[in-house]
Amino acid sequence: MSRRIAIQRSVMAADEKIAEKIRKDLSKKGVLMLNLIGSPGSGKTALLEWTLKDPLFRSVVLEGDVATSRDAERIARTGTPVVQINTRGGCHLEANLVEKALESLEMDGVDVIFVENVGNLVCPAEFDLGEDYKVALCSVPEGPDKPLKYPHLFMRAEAVLLTKVDLLEHLDFDRDLFWKDVKELNPRAERLEVSPLRGDGMSDWVSLVQGWVKAKRP
Amino acid sequence: MHELSLVGAVVESLEEMAREKGWKKVTKVTLRIGRMRQVIPEVMVFSFSVVTEGTIMEGSSLEILEVPVTSRCSFCGEEWEGLSFLCPRCGSGQVETASGMELDLESVEVEE
Repeated sequence: MSRRIAIQRSVMAADEKIAEKIRKDLSKKGVLMLNLIGSPGSGKTALLEWTLKDPLFRSVVLEGDVATSRDAERIARTGTPVVQINTRGGCHLEANLVEKALESLEMDGVDVIFVENVGNLVCPAEFDLGEDYKVALCSVPEGPDKPLKYPHLFMRAEAVLLTKVDLLEHLDFDRDLFWKDVKELNPRAERLEVSPLRGDGMSDWVSLVQGWVKAKRP
Repeated sequence: MHELSLVGAVVESLEEMAREKGWKKVTKVTLRIGRMRQVIPEVMVFSFSVVTEGTIMEGSSLEILEVPVTSRCSFCGEEWEGLSFLCPRCGSGQVETASGMELDLESVEVEE
């Protein structure tokens, strides 16, 4: 005889609990966590390399990749403490992975944790890591239609960065369409155009992060 | 594909519950999944059949209740279907997703 039992609980309840724990912990310590999400090759690591070469805030980095520690090695060359998380097939980071990685880092005096998520515009947007903000990256070569094609990420991002703008003169990228779509999906998001290669917009990006760091301090 | 990861989370959750409550077998699992979640029902069902092998959920059926996407204006309270970002009544941009983001274990049918 089968009996029906109502449960009505989130499927991701266990991981969501961990994300909330991370969030509370970091709030108490006044540490900012940013979750950088974008396609493979959108320029997440390059953004961090530029940001961390002469940082105005003390940072640590969590690198999420399916395989290799190449990104962590690039970050390590800036002198910033970094942990590489290999998901070995997983297409996104989850709070339980972030929790484990944070345990191996010295957090005293840290202002910001940069989490570079696995290159993917789809899944990472759905998994709360306990971060303060999601930062969405889209590069010029990817084309201007990505926001509407991946609305989940762009709607939930606190900031949207158009990267590799040094390539605008070489590619047929409709900037007006891109920003119109972003504004429609998320009128409140910060909007920046950057090129870590050439330096465009990078001081605005750093100021944005500085503002968030100040606001987080208890 | 994260359907597999979600199914893994469901199975882990249910195994724990089964241990606590002494269920002998689970015969049906019902999930409520919002259409904003980028989940493909067929992939969930397939992943479910694979992941539940060897557990007390083996052979159980998976039912997926899809929840439509609705938006709500936090300024005037108007609700509507779909994802538009300006309120059709008052024009405010303070719009939130009211439904469509669910990823819930709704119910199970068990033998005790």
